[in-house]
Amino acid sequence: MNKLERIIHIEDDLSIQEVARVALEIVGGFTVKSCDSGAQGLAETPAFNPQLVLLDVMMPGMDGPQTLTELQKLPCMANVPVVFMTAKAQTQEVSAYHQLGAAGVIIKPFDPMTLSEQITEIWNTWHEQ
Amino acid sequence: MSNKDQLSSQLAELESRFRDRLRAELAEMADAAKQVLQGESNDPRSHLVLRDRLHKLAGSAGTFGYNTLGSACRELEVQLQQQIDKPPADETLMRRLAEHIIQLDSLLIDKHETLPQAPSMSDESHIPNADRHIALVVGEQELAQQMSQTLTSFGYQISQFSEPAELFESLDSLDAVIIDTSTGEWNAQELTEKLRSTPDSEPLPLLVISSDDSFNSRLASVRAGARGFFTKPVDLPSLESRLERSFTNHQAGPFRVLIIDDDTELAARYALILTSAGMLVESEFDPELLLEKMHAFGPDVVLMDINMPDFSGPELAQVIRLNDDWLRVPIIYLSAETNAERQMSALLKAGDDFITKPISDSALLTTVYARAQRARMVSDALSRDSLTGLLKHADIKDQLDIEIGRAQRSQQPVSIAMIDIDHFKSVNDQYGHPVGDNVIRALSNLLRQRLRKIDRLGRYGGEEFLAVLPNCSIEDAQQILDEIRAAFAALNFSADEHNFNCTFSTGISACTADDWPSDGLLDLADRRLYQAKKGGRNQVCSESE
Repeated sequence: MNKLERIIHIEDDLSIQEVARVALEIVGGFTVKSCDSGAQGLAETPAFNPQLVLLDVMMPGMDGPQTLTELQKLPCMANVPVVFMTAKAQTQEVSAYHQLGAAGVIIKPFDPMTLSEQITEIWNTWHEQ
Repeated sequence: MSNKDQLSSQLAELESRFRDRLRAELAEMADAAKQVLQGESNDPRSHLVLRDRLHKLAGSAGTFGYNTLGSACRELEVQLQQQIDKPPADETLMRRLAEHIIQLDSLLIDKHETLPQAPSMSDESHIPNADRHIALVVGEQELAQQMSQTLTSFGYQISQFSEPAELFESLDSLDAVIIDTSTGEWNAQELTEKLRSTPDSEPLPLLVISSDDSFNSRLASVRAGARGFFTKPVDLPSLESRLERSFTNHQAGPFRVLIIDDDTELAARYALILTSAGMLVESEFDPELLLEKMHAFGPDVVLMDINMPDFSGPELAQVIRLNDDWLRVPIIYLSAETNAERQMSALLKAGDDFITKPISDSALLTTVYARAQRARMVSDALSRDSLTGLLKHADIKDQLDIEIGRAQRSQQPVSIAMIDIDHFKSVNDQYGHPVGDNVIRALSNLLRQRLRKIDRLGRYGGEEFLAVLPNCSIEDAQQILDEIRAAFAALNFSADEHNFNCTFSTGISACTADDWPSDGLLDLADRRLYQAKKGGRNQVCSESE
């Protein structure tokens, strides 16, 4: 299993984008690329070649699930786990996201201190399966 | 600097930027909501925009620690979504939602109250009143003045209003409302709604005064959300006592829940659900560190996975139960175990309840909430005197030993005061025991409010109290107790339409770095109390003859 280094974060809320970036960079030591929309995420993904995608569910324009469907068409996305980030904590929705192909779900509000650990857990579990 | 420290400082910076953005965002949302209120904008598109903004805030506010605001946004988002799903939107409901959105900025100040704090269980009953702002809506001049004077002597800040409508304009700055129903026009329903900042938040404590002692009058007060009902002539000390109690209920700290589960993802999920309901949650995955965590965190409830590598849940629960201090803490097992026999056997060993996985959010919340609430009440009832809410004889003596030990280590003085109500027996004989109880409650409340947060206070005997004042010289103690003595002597008590006053006497002793007669400290205070009684009562004595 490769070490997780590059994460692309697609999120329209700038405040969340900033917190997630510092949390992942400082505690996890990851390299993070932040994108403001699904469209931007799709455009940046081939060049950045992420190992994991962190994806907001509710965004204007292309929402999280739509973005996921489009991302899955990219060749570089083969074997790249996608993690949804959502404020909706209902169990049924979480399993719906899993069915869409999400490797994990991070629920907002999240704890910046443990975000990196959560991501690493998901990354490890994904590779064990 | 460790990574986490570095992140903390970065987060603090981001938070201050977020706060600025948040203010602007709340102001813009309030403007949009005002348009809904004025009927200018009731098209579905503007509702969608508002919903998206609430959704965003629900996610980001909590991440920056504004949990109350985050939960309120989430709740409003859900309600708004229901309106969007079933057009046309209900206008009355939309107006109410809009009103709540306009008031969201009042939740901005709540941040630090909902953040984890160091445990301070013993401090919970020592909440000073200095910042508590009470509204009096009492038209009768004489009564208003009397109440204002009494409550001020208990350390409250008082504002007087001549009618309810005037009160509604300054609700934001208030902590409780006392209303005389014969003052101006008042409408129970309107009052109930105004006293809540959001539909689900706790309303401001309300006490009602009425000249009408009928069932209907009481019922109307209950419907308005009253926590106390008093008929005229008003017994001011019991009114004060009720006010004090409504605060203890209103502001007792959040419930503390400790989760012990080796499945960190699941533990994080439970933590999130409980945290978003305003509880403080910590997780411990290493059973070796469990006891340390129990000490440091002081949980109200423990949630425990039943199957963990190396240890079983019931084993860990038994380890917890070996310590007397934690006998009162409920332990709830989380388990996929549905075999009733095995569940029972786990409960017999230790533990109080079972939650079977997979568990719904609301079942988890309800179980934990009910257990925590009951545990707090039981724990409180066990260590506190039922009449005054102060520590009992044995507990205050323990506190005295602890404080003397601390004083010796830190080379700081500690003073103790033995306080006894004068001629208390004749109050009981003349007016009956319920009135005597009121006098005791009034003195205990007064002491609690006038002493500092670090001071320890207990009911030592029937009408006798013991106060332990750390880091306080005998001269300062003399001055503080003398002020309390004067305030108590000025209190008016009423019984059968008679008004009367009470006084107390106090003996003070102290030990300092130069002189540690700590063994005889209680005796010395007792002798000086006797001296004060002999010297004519209603006085404070801190010197031996």
